[in-house]
Amino acid sequence: MEKLMEILMEIDDSIDYEKEKALIDDRLLDSFGVITLVSELEDAFDIDIEASEMTPDNFNSAESIYNMVKRLQEN
Amino acid sequence: MAYQSLVYGFVFLPLCLLVYQIAPQKWRRRVLLAFSYLFFWLLSGKLIVYLLGTTVFVHCIGIWLEWLRSEQKTALASAERCEKKRIKGIYQKKSRRVLAFGVLLLIGILAYLKYYNFFAGNLNGIFGSALPFTLEEKNILMPVGISFYTLQAIGYLADVYWGKIRAEEKLENTALFLAFFPQIMEGPICRYSDTAGTLYSGKSLEIDNLTEGYIRIFWGLFKKKVIADRLAIGVDAIFGNYTSYSGAMTVFAAAAYTVQLYMEFSGCMDIIIGSGQLFGVKLPENFRQPFAAQSAAEFWRRWHITLGTWFKTYIFYPVSMSGPVKKWNQYGRKHFGKYITMLGTSAMALFPVWLCNGLWHGARWSYIFYGMYYFTLILLGIAAEPLRDRVLELLHIGEKSAGLKVVRIAKTWLIIFTGELFFRADGLRAGIYMFRSIFRNFDLNSLFDGRLLELGMSRADLIAIAAGCVVVAIVGAVKERGVHVREALGRKPVFIRWSIYYALLLAVIVIAAYGDGYQAVDMIYAGF
Repeated sequence: MEKLMEILMEIDDSIDYEKEKALIDDRLLDSFGVITLVSELEDAFDIDIEASEMTPDNFNSAESIYNMVKRLQEN
Repeated sequence: MAYQSLVYGFVFLPLCLLVYQIAPQKWRRRVLLAFSYLFFWLLSGKLIVYLLGTTVFVHCIGIWLEWLRSEQKTALASAERCEKKRIKGIYQKKSRRVLAFGVLLLIGILAYLKYYNFFAGNLNGIFGSALPFTLEEKNILMPVGISFYTLQAIGYLADVYWGKIRAEEKLENTALFLAFFPQIMEGPICRYSDTAGTLYSGKSLEIDNLTEGYIRIFWGLFKKKVIADRLAIGVDAIFGNYTSYSGAMTVFAAAAYTVQLYMEFSGCMDIIIGSGQLFGVKLPENFRQPFAAQSAAEFWRRWHITLGTWFKTYIFYPVSMSGPVKKWNQYGRKHFGKYITMLGTSAMALFPVWLCNGLWHGARWSYIFYGMYYFTLILLGIAAEPLRDRVLELLHIGEKSAGLKVVRIAKTWLIIFTGELFFRADGLRAGIYMFRSIFRNFDLNSLFDGRLLELGMSRADLIAIAAGCVVVAIVGAVKERGVHVREALGRKPVFIRWSIYYALLLAVIVIAAYGDGYQAVDMIYAGF
């Protein structure tokens, strides 16, 4: 989670990721923020994120991003 | 039989409702399918074979993808851990080939029917006698709604491939998903996961659904018949003889066409979504107060939403996450910094989206220009973001300032009107001519010296249009504040509520553009 927080802060440090639960729905993270995030996550966690994972549910909060990363690592 | 026709509202729909309600629950989806095919046949005759062929093909590809997934599951269950990655790779490759086969064939049919003549004409025009052969233009008939159901079919296959949904096992269900009559002509482009549940439920008609559905239908008819069909007269007059009009009249035509298109398309969506609601089927919304958008990008999140979502899901994200773009992202951030990398990524991912958006509307250079126009503007918007933030900071203007909002909305209107001018113009050359006339021969006076009344719209027409627009704008403003209008009306006393409903009904009957002097106006989006 710490590593994920570092990545998120590097993308936009003005967001309170611990509290925010609607990063996508409230457009705090735009499409390009998500693409950069995906690229960083793939490098940092050695996972492949496919286009099918691009749903608001997977990116709305730090927790949901973390859960997606864990799921992809286990697969 | 168009959605706004009397035959649809007073014969087809009531008959379908009656048969649907009488039929046993398990037969109801077949009733909807039978009426959907009847509807399609009445519109396209024997061209229904395209829809039937597409349905069987899409159904089989879906089953094939599902079968591959279950095979993979079985293979993985008995495999050693070290073998799993290899097995997954093998099945992914197989599934990708099946998906590519399905998608390419669907796009191939659409491309042949829609773009063959455009391609042949341009190829002959460019190379002339240098080519050893000449591609002859053909008289190709295109089934209604093919641009909509093809996208819906591709979305369905991609969702099965991604494992987001299970492939439909019953052919009749796939058929109904692709052919459901309220949305076959103009969309909305539905995702299986959003509509299948209510579409197949076969639940009995409910008084609330019938009331709300019919009110929504009348609201759509109000927009279409009171405003759009009236505006069409003036718009057609100017665009049809554009060399005779001043720049001011051209600006009026561009704005009037934008309003006409909105009233027409969103009005048809109201009729379509209302028709679905009569049967308890929930179709996705296609508009969300587009004229309140503060940028071109936001406009496209509020206008023809299901098309934008389709492009985002099935083109923008897959391209953004493709190997070359990911490699550029990594390379760019190391060598050029975040800003340049983001611009490069944006350009690579947005270009195919906007090219497809332009082409999807039809085989004309003006549509391609329309797509590229928005591509350029949205990319410029992204490029200018840091500079804009800096200027706002220097001027101490807050992001939420009301003045800034007004300026942004006005700027967005200008962008939209200009885009629609080229979209509606009779070819790219005509569009350029009209655009240039704004700067060459503006003549503001032409709007006030009575020439507007020579376009075929009477003073009463202009008043009806203006009053109609005010009503739609008020409803839009209320919705923009997050109020659900019909629910809010439902809480009003019966007398007030039904007075409003009857006023709407009366408006549609009394002041709609029927009778002598008015032509039945075809739905614009049904032509795409």
